Amino acid sequence: MNDLMNAAPCGFVSFGDDGIIRAVNQGLIELVGYTRAELEGKHLESIFSVGGKVFYHTHFLPLLRLQGRAEEIYFALRCKGGDEVPVLINGVRSSRDGEVVNDCIMVRMRMRRRYEDEILRAKKEAEAASAAKAKFLSMMSHDLRTPLQAISGYASVLGQEFHGPLLEAQRDDLAQIQNATRELSRLMDDILTFAQMESGRVQVRLRSVPVDEALERAESLVRLRFTDAELAYQREPLEPGLAVKADPDRLQQILLNLVTNAIKFTPAGGRVATAAEREGDRARIRVRDTGPGIPGEYLDRIFEPFTQVETTQANQGVGLGLAISRELARAMGGDLTVESLLGKGSTFTIELPAASVSGAGMDVVPS
Amino acid sequence: MPVNDPQSIIRRNNVKIMGTGDRTLLFAHGFGCDQNMWRFIVPAFEHDYRIVLFDYVGAGNSDVSQWDERRYATLEGYSRDILEICEALDLRQVILVGHSVSSVIGILAAIEQPDRFERLILVGPSPRYINDTDYVGGFERADIEGLLDMMDKNFIGWANALAPVIMKNPDKPELAAELEESFCSTDPRIARLFAQATFFSDNRDDLEKVRIPSLIMQCSEDAIAPVEVGDFLHARLAGSTLRRLQATGHCPHVSHPEETIRVMREYLEN
Repeated sequence: MNDLMNAAPCGFVSFGDDGIIRAVNQGLIELVGYTRAELEGKHLESIFSVGGKVFYHTHFLPLLRLQGRAEEIYFALRCKGGDEVPVLINGVRSSRDGEVVNDCIMVRMRMRRRYEDEILRAKKEAEAASAAKAKFLSMMSHDLRTPLQAISGYASVLGQEFHGPLLEAQRDDLAQIQNATRELSRLMDDILTFAQMESGRVQVRLRSVPVDEALERAESLVRLRFTDAELAYQREPLEPGLAVKADPDRLQQILLNLVTNAIKFTPAGGRVATAAEREGDRARIRVRDTGPGIPGEYLDRIFEPFTQVETTQANQGVGLGLAISRELARAMGGDLTVESLLGKGSTFTIELPAASVSGAGMDVVPS
Repeated sequence: MPVNDPQSIIRRNNVKIMGTGDRTLLFAHGFGCDQNMWRFIVPAFEHDYRIVLFDYVGAGNSDVSQWDERRYATLEGYSRDILEICEALDLRQVILVGHSVSSVIGILAAIEQPDRFERLILVGPSPRYINDTDYVGGFERADIEGLLDMMDKNFIGWANALAPVIMKNPDKPELAAELEESFCSTDPRIARLFAQATFFSDNRDDLEKVRIPSLIMQCSEDAIAPVEVGDFLHARLAGSTLRRLQATGHCPHVSHPEETIRVMREYLEN
């Protein structure tokens, strides 16, 4: 070991594939407290903690052997007195004196380890809190669904006039109740989906879904709201037979989110349009509005959960719809993107694999 | 995903088939890396055997989206991967070569469907890693906690030496080359659960249920599977052959491929 190597402010060890230490520098001797004679000729394992020995065999040695190098690997060294010293190791394979050896430097991490412990603890706490939140959301949306179904059911009974004819004004009020019930139900679907996503339990069942049917189904649920909001709605002509490979309920959830958003954020007198086209083996469904548009700095952030663009409008929801819509689109092998021009409006594009209308094979993909 | 669709299993487990021969060697990698671990062994057998390599779901270039927390929380879930691969390829009379934890995973598969397998080659096997009354596994529970802590540290954000370099993206095949190079990269959550399933398992009672012959390849000075473990296995696995290797450590197929190949050949030709 030359003077330069011995003076280097880090530990250095060279070992063979058999794990036997060939050479060490002064830095390593000082790091672990053994003499040179106690180290050279011994197995590298003798300076690793027990966990470190396992990690050496399962990760470190294979990386060196298969990849020729391994970088930034955290290890705990066991010193002569039994104390453990955290180090970061970089290793590289090289040939010296007719033998293949693994050369490693070890840098002690005093403060970093403490910070890492704190980061890890905070991460684990955050994960536990997030899991508890997801469980709560899931239970809450289940519990709320029962009374909501009762409201929706009885409203429907009233609407069928079993108990006697309704006045025109009563019928209008009932329509408002039913609208609000549907909106609440949609929000709860979003919350439940979000909770499932957080815990990795979302499943999508892919099959061929005709785009016109999907759009028709979504439109039927929001038609009245266009009228109430004084917006024009237009579906642009579709290529005949255009279909996507998707989970019909999940696609519906995305479409409802996009159309409901467009209604919410487009001022009276504006226009919302849907369109779809095929390009190779992909299909794109677009929802366009003439709303205020989304500022550039928000274009990515709107897909993060609980994010909303700050507008003059009052609180318009919890900000989950776009986050889960993008996740659902991705779970189905597609994506959800946005283009927007301030003052002109926004266009949301659902991209999905195109499908033939006939092929209706089922496929379950956990997200 | 329909379980009986062979193509989807082949994709899911990144199954690679090569070599020519009437007999099939199915290589199962251990905890840590992936099928690349066998690269020094495979060339020695591909002229006489059909070779099947794969990555467990969650490892290597497997389809991580198929990973299921409940299924892969125990070694039985991993043994289902092996059985599903055998079914997908309609493999019979398989010689299963399992390294480390894959020895036990292979044993579980052979108990479940004994007719599928001709024999087992167990490289550095252990039915239980943690010491127990009258049993030397080599570890105390605290040691394993130390390993898990080390894994957490190695998978932490900025020091992500072992975390996946990039996400799998079928739309961008140009990224595949980069993936090929990331041997030991796994999703940290998957790696941690695999470590827990591995090191907290106790399959000692399963050993007497094995009905096919096996070779136990016991390394010298193996910190993960000490010699006592090899003896324990040999005493309880009916029809087992115990071979003590000169090779030190826990990965003789990586560190001492020549001896590993020689011992395997001697057993196979016997």
